[in-house]
Amino acid sequence: MDFPTDANVLVGLERADDAGVYRITDDVALIQTVDFFTPVVDDPYWFGQIAAANALSDVYAMGGVPRTAMNLVAFPSKTMDMSILRQIIQGGIDKMKEAEVALVGGHSIEDKEIKYGLSVTGIIHPDRVLTKKNLRPGDRLVLTKPLGTGIVNTAIKAGMASDQLSEMVTRLMAALNRDAARIMTGYDISACTDVTGFGFLGHLAEMVSGSGKGVRIEAQRAPVISEALELANMGLIPAGAYKNRDFRNDMIIVAETVPRGLVDIFFDPQTSGGLLIAVARHQADDFAAALVEAGMPRAAIVGDVIDTADEKIWVA
Amino acid sequence: MKEIDARGLACPAPVLQTKAALQEENIDHLRVVVDNAASQQNVQRFLESQGFEATLKQAGADYLVVGARTGQPLPQDEPKTAAVAEGDTKKIMVMCASDRMGFGDDVLGRKLMINFLKTLKEMGPDLWRLVFVNNGVKLTIEGSAALPDLKAYENDGLKILVCGTCLDHFGLLEQKRVGETTNMLDIVTAMQLADRVINI
Repeated sequence: MDFPTDANVLVGLERADDAGVYRITDDVALIQTVDFFTPVVDDPYWFGQIAAANALSDVYAMGGVPRTAMNLVAFPSKTMDMSILRQIIQGGIDKMKEAEVALVGGHSIEDKEIKYGLSVTGIIHPDRVLTKKNLRPGDRLVLTKPLGTGIVNTAIKAGMASDQLSEMVTRLMAALNRDAARIMTGYDISACTDVTGFGFLGHLAEMVSGSGKGVRIEAQRAPVISEALELANMGLIPAGAYKNRDFRNDMIIVAETVPRGLVDIFFDPQTSGGLLIAVARHQADDFAAALVEAGMPRAAIVGDVIDTADEKIWVA
Repeated sequence: MKEIDARGLACPAPVLQTKAALQEENIDHLRVVVDNAASQQNVQRFLESQGFEATLKQAGADYLVVGARTGQPLPQDEPKTAAVAEGDTKKIMVMCASDRMGFGDDVLGRKLMINFLKTLKEMGPDLWRLVFVNNGVKLTIEGSAALPDLKAYENDGLKILVCGTCLDHFGLLEQKRVGETTNMLDIVTAMQLADRVINI
């Protein structure tokens, strides 16, 4: 398909990156993104927060700062109490306030199923845009949030998750990636993306594909929600995780020593997951420590970029 | 052989149906039919976690899992999380904004408070959060008569939240001996999630 474009499009559709980037002047580029989905938790207020955090995340993943947002709402107003919609939007608004983003408009339609999300505009210096590409040999990979939200959400649906676990995961999904993005500006970062529907290894595969580099993941260092491992072993895995695995099968080589449940978690689709960041080797420890210090206690170095033309991911 | 037809069901329903069947009767051999590969692998994982050997087969559009019991479930099969999902416990949050109970005689008030905290355990599993703010934080510091009881609660898994701003205000940050130092956002969130909040 031939997409309309012009010379100021720095990141467009052909890149399939987290957001589009458009140069306005030599110093300012716009970052634009839109995301919405059906409820992932029962509580409407928390759903609003999670949907907003998830939409804002694409701007953070480009290294930018979100500035304005618009609500996207689909709601069955004839059959459902409007107070539910108010709570969803209140959740979104509170998350926007936390992110210091102005709500400037929106659009709502009547629909059988609830959907909510945001269209977000952010800004960035055109020279500082972080895409999924440009991995450098020697870079270390850092992940900011623990994995396993899709599995835990499946267990919640099955009535097999405790209140404490469900509360913890709700907070995790509602947590902004803002502080991680802010900290990135002080370090030598080559590439970044946020971990969402394709899972950790699926999004990593997007970074590796076309990079001319390989990646080695140290499975035991990856942050995971500990309960997710038990739940994965009981078969409470969303179908998307299997799709993610089958889609990237050729690129990923998993050592036999890695437990099956952990591999399941690595392909688990995440809702509003953390940032996956490639940072210069000599800064990696400081960078990870700064993330932990800033309130991301599970942030960790998870692997290395290897100088090999074989675009493969080795998980050991 | 027990047959379970879970065709037409999306994850996690086939696993739940299999789980229910195993709970209902003692089964050593079973065959589960699903209509997609993801459900097939999930049922396989579940059966393996329950001490079965699972074999996968495909027949036309059907995906089969044939299970044969080889042993007892692995120890991890009863996650701590499962028992809590019964859903009949309430979440009660008790917030103590003072180190004494009621007004009038302060000596009596302090004694009552210690006794109150000791007796709280009668709430059983419904007791979900214990929060200390303002003067209440003094109950959590070195030398507090409530400390042994509070530590016992914490050991039993009760989450105790202690207001960091309040500790700081009284210069007691270093003396806190029990609970997690917390902020107002955590307290407000806990209030929102609780089924009942009791203020002392």
